[in-house]
Parts: sequence; C-alpha cells; structure tokens
Amino acid sequence: MAKKKNMAWYILFTAPLLLIFITVVIIPFLMGIYYSFFQWDGIGANPKVFVGLDNFIHLFGDTRFFKSAWITTLFTILAVISVNLVGLTFALLVTSKLRTANAARTMVFMPYLIGGLILGYIWQFVFSDVFKLIGVVTGLEDVFFNWLMDPSYALYALVFVFTWQMAGYVMIIYIAGIQGIPNDVIEASEIDGANRWQKLRNIIFPLLMPAFTISLFLTLSSAFKIYDVNLSLTGGGPANSTEMFAMNIYNEIFGYGNYGFGQAKAIIFFFIVAAITLTQVYITKKREVEM
Amino acid sequence: MKFKTRTLGSLLIIALLLILAACSGNGNEENGEEKAEGSGKTSNQKITIFQSKVEISDQLEALAKEYKEETGVEVEVWGTTGDDYFQQLQIRLNSDQGPSIFSVQNVTEAERLESYVYDMSDEDYVKHIAPGMELKNNDKIVGVPYGVEGFGLVYNKDLISPEDVADYESFVSTLEKLKADGINGLGLAKDAYFLIGHISNYPFSLQEDHYEFIDKLTAGEVTMAETAEFKEFGKFMEAIKLNTPSPLDVTYDEEIGDFAAGKSAMIHQGNWAYGMLSDFDIDFEMGMLPFPLMGNDKMAVGVGSNWSINGKKDEEEVKAANDFLNWLSTSETGHRYIVEEFGFVPALTNIDSGDLDPLSQDVLDASNSGETIPWAQSYYPANLVPNDFTPAAQEFFLSKDMTGEELIEKLDAAWKNAVK
Repeated sequence: MAKKKNMAWYILFTAPLLLIFITVVIIPFLMGIYYSFFQWDGIGANPKVFVGLDNFIHLFGDTRFFKSAWITTLFTILAVISVNLVGLTFALLVTSKLRTANAARTMVFMPYLIGGLILGYIWQFVFSDVFKLIGVVTGLEDVFFNWLMDPSYALYALVFVFTWQMAGYVMIIYIAGIQGIPNDVIEASEIDGANRWQKLRNIIFPLLMPAFTISLFLTLSSAFKIYDVNLSLTGGGPANSTEMFAMNIYNEIFGYGNYGFGQAKAIIFFFIVAAITLTQVYITKKREVEM
Repeated sequence: MKFKTRTLGSLLIIALLLILAACSGNGNEENGEEKAEGSGKTSNQKITIFQSKVEISDQLEALAKEYKEETGVEVEVWGTTGDDYFQQLQIRLNSDQGPSIFSVQNVTEAERLESYVYDMSDEDYVKHIAPGMELKNNDKIVGVPYGVEGFGLVYNKDLISPEDVADYESFVSTLEKLKADGINGLGLAKDAYFLIGHISNYPFSLQEDHYEFIDKLTAGEVTMAETAEFKEFGKFMEAIKLNTPSPLDVTYDEEIGDFAAGKSAMIHQGNWAYGMLSDFDIDFEMGMLPFPLMGNDKMAVGVGSNWSINGKKDEEEVKAANDFLNWLSTSETGHRYIVEEFGFVPALTNIDSGDLDPLSQDVLDASNSGETIPWAQSYYPANLVPNDFTPAAQEFFLSKDMTGEELIEKLDAAWKNAVK
C-alpha cells in the first residue's frame, strides 16, 4: 500500500513535467528526424519529396557548414576556458574574506539575469560606439576599434560577451562547491604547512571536481548551442565569419528554404553536442573524489 | 485515511492536467469564439496585418485605428521585423497563426507562397490598379501594389548639382572633392538592401532584357564578370569604398541623420526615406538623381511590395480582409493615408497624387515621362540579397585590397550559390 502511495506522489510530480518535456522536446525532435529525409522548402502546403539519406550525404559537400563547425569549435574552446577561469577566480575571491564579497557576488551574477538578445544589443553599442570613442580619446586605436567589423575580433567579441553573461552563473556553482568543502580539511593542510597554491591544487580543486563537472557541462553545451548573442551581436557577420552552428541551421532552413537539409544538419549537430558533452561528463566524473 | 490521500493525489493530478490542457487549448478556444461571433455579426471579425515595411508601421497602426472608428472592424497590426520578414511570415503561416493580410515583395515570393495567396482577380478594387503594376501569379492577380517607388541618389541641392554626378568620371571627382572637404560623398547603410540590394539593381536593369539576362545567369551561360555593365559597377563600388567611410557600422537611422545634418552630400535611398527625413529640421532642398552607371540618366522605379490576402483563412476573415483592401484603395481616408502618411507614389488610377514630397515628386515625374529602368531585384532568386549578396559586400567593404573586379566575381559566386 505504501508503495502505491509513493507511486502516486511520484506520478503527481513527474507527470506534468514529463508532459511538457514530451510536447516541446521529444515530439519536435522526432518530427525533425522525419523531415530530414525529405526535400521540402518549409512552406506547409508545398510538396515534400522523399529523398532518403541524400540530405546527409549532401552535407559532406557543404563547405559553409564545415567552416561554421570550425568557428563554433574555436568559439567553444575559448568560451569554456574563459568562462570557467573568470567564474572560478570570482568564486575564490568572493569566498575569501573580502569585505565587499556579497556586493561583488550580486554584481557578477547580474548579467546572467539579462537575456542574451538584450545583452547582445547592449554590447553591440559598446563595441561600435564606446570602443571607438575610447580608441580616439586614448590613441590606442589598435586595441579599441569596432571589434565587430573585423572577422577574427568579432569572434573574440562574442567570447567576451558570452563570458560576461555566463561567468556569474558558473561562479555560483563554484561558490556552492567551495562552501561545501569542510573547514577541518583546509585547517589540517594549513597545520601541515601547505602554502596557498598547494592548498588550492591539492585540497580545493580535487574536492571541487563535481562543480567542475557541472560547470564544464553547462558552458560546453550552451557555447555549442549559442544563438541569441550570436544573432544580436554580430548577426553572423561580418561576411559570415561568426556564423555558428545554430545560426547556420536557421539560415539553411529559413534563409535558403531547405527545410529537410537544415533538419539533417540539426540532427548531426545534436549528435556532435551529445557526444562531446557526454565524453566531458565521463572524464570529469572519473576524477571526482569521494570524501 | 490512506484511501483519502490517494484520492487527493489523483484529484490533484486531474486538476493539474486540466490546467495544462486549458493552457494549451487556449489559443484555439479564442479562435473558436471569434468565429462564432464573426458569423453572427461581421463587424466583430478581427483581421491581422503583417507586412515588411518598417517605415510605415506607425502610420499603419494609426490607419487601423481610423478603420475601426469608421467601420467597427478591429485591425491588428503586427510589429515588423525588417530583414527577416519573410522567415517570420513563413513560421507564422506554418503554425496556422498567419495574418489575414501580408505583404509579398515580388513574383518569386508569390510563387513560393502559391498555396496561400488569395486570387483577387474578381474583386472590385483590382480594377483601380495602374496597368501592369499588379502582382500576378499564373495569370491570377494576387497582390495590390503598395505604390510606385523609386530609388537613386538622394542629394543635397546645396552641395551637389546634377552635372556633378552625370557619369563615372564626374561621380568619382565629386566624391574626391567632397572627401577633401570632410563631407561624406555617398552614404550607404549596413542593412542588406541599403548596403548592396538596391544599388546592385543597376547593372541588371541596364541590360536590354533583364529577365532574359537573369535566366541566362542562372543557367550559367553568362557571368557578371564578363559583362560590361558589371565591370563598370565594380569600378563605381571601388570609388565608393575608397572615398567614403565604411557603411558597415552605419545604421539606416544614422545614414538618414547624417544626410539631414548635412554631413553627407548624397545617400543611396528611395523616396520612402522622406518619411524619416521629415522628422528633421532640414534647411536645404533635396532631390533624387539616377545612379550614373554607364551614364544612366533614368530612375529605377518599381513596386516595393504588395498587399496579399491569406486565402487559407476562413471565409469570414478573407471577406473582412477584402473589405479592408477595398476600403484602403477606394475610400478617402485610405487614399489620404497612402499618399500623405505612407508617402507612397500611388499605383492606383483612382488616386489623385496631390502634393507630394520632393523625393516622391521626382519619382512620379520620372514615372510619368517613362524615363525609367525596371527593378531587377523583383526577379532575383528568393532571399538572394540577405543570404548571399550581403556577405560578399561586407567582405568587399572590410578588405582594403579587394578590388571592384573581385567584388563582381564574389557576386557571381553568390548567385551560383543561391540558385544551386
């Protein structure tokens, strides 16, 4: 009887979520797989032609897709490093005995509360107007120019804004991790004469491994899937030099009207993201230590 | 007791599911109600408009209000998104939440939306459309033109006189002279159509038969790089890049603002720009000149966009949409809006154009005298300008060393990519 009661509670709490998950994730995903076998321009009433695996074969000849894949990879590597570095640094700073720790924590977290689209437009203004002005005033025009107008700097600008957005979020995760480390272990290491660096490397980092797992997973997957900041900050430009995966798929589907081909790309994209993030979780999980 | 908790549990689930169902079903229910009401009294039928021209959004909303006052029918105007209008329209049509009236830019778009556009050949108001200006798909009239529009060099009469920009040599020397004076000779903006879309028309439009040329281009029988008009167009673009600030960080607003402030002597724009220019206190006279490619002295005039009706809607809504278009093209208020508020040069024979702003007047004069070249862009492959031409143009303006010839080669490649 008790078991049945538990079951009822279980259903009560999972059913609504499950329902939402199925309607907005599972069903569209299956539909996407279905459409990827068709040649279709995406307009409801127009004919769909079954082409089997042609869309997937065609994919290997699409240089723009590969270029986009390379840019996305580059972006992801840079973004994951910088987000976690900045997030961890802030976490270590605000958990130390700084007097402004609480205020700093709030401030750093704040950008995360602003939507990516708005953030992108704010920074577009900063890069195109403020940066130029600083450059003119200080004479450092080699550093302060409109980054969005230069194909490689536009990518750095994206990394910068993405870091600005995400660093506060992963900082919170790291803070939780750091606060979860028992004081006695740290005190013991201090008595043994460990210096700051040894403490960090041999005590804090190993015990922080679960936080690393989560943070890396979150940043890795969201960097791969980035679309909103990409759209509002650079729009894929200049000259398609910052067209990420998600945007490439959107443009294929809605710009060129190749719905099926775009879906095929999206499926491949899904497998790449899944493979990379799962590998990362597997590796970092293995390094987590039990207390 | 146990039994009670369980009942309570299941009751809760049922309640939750009901709430969820209610939430998801909401949209449909509303529609259902509307339909029910609509069949009773037509005046309660609501229609929705989604269109691509950012310049007339505010005016259109005002028009919707007046329409409601006069007829009692509510018109909802959806915010316009500009460059990605067609994608947005497609998304909405696919999810069965499409508007009752939408704008269709050209034949290529009408063909893609073939299953949606309503055949208005038998409606009264299409009789007023000026000959040859209606949007046709398979001999059926599917769109009422917004108005006749023209683009060219919008110039400040204090700084430029027509003979300054009569051909390539004078054009370049004018740009150089203005650059030396610290004035921007020719302003473009970063938006797809203002950067390359409109200006790319000229070499196509100057062909003897631009339809034939475009077909040949698509078939690969000719290239732009070997065509004289394009070679000169490349030289023009090179001169623009060399003598004016990069248009890539200039927005449409800034382009217009700079011109109004006298910082730019010319901008490449159309008569629609007057809507925004009239917001400024301008102390000089302006006019529009043809772009002097190959010594061209004819204005590029065409139909910017067309009103079409979503034929997939139910009968009531289609009828209400028809009523609206009929009112727009026959009533006094409608005419006043088309001419005065939207700033269109009317493409309807029953409208007296009255007093036009200076830019529209130049377009109308050109159109009346027949001294015009067509808009080749109406026959471009769908989305060519934002998808393929714009990245090529961005690359051209970004790179200091890229020549006009290389730009034309890029445009050739862009075209191939768009029609593959």
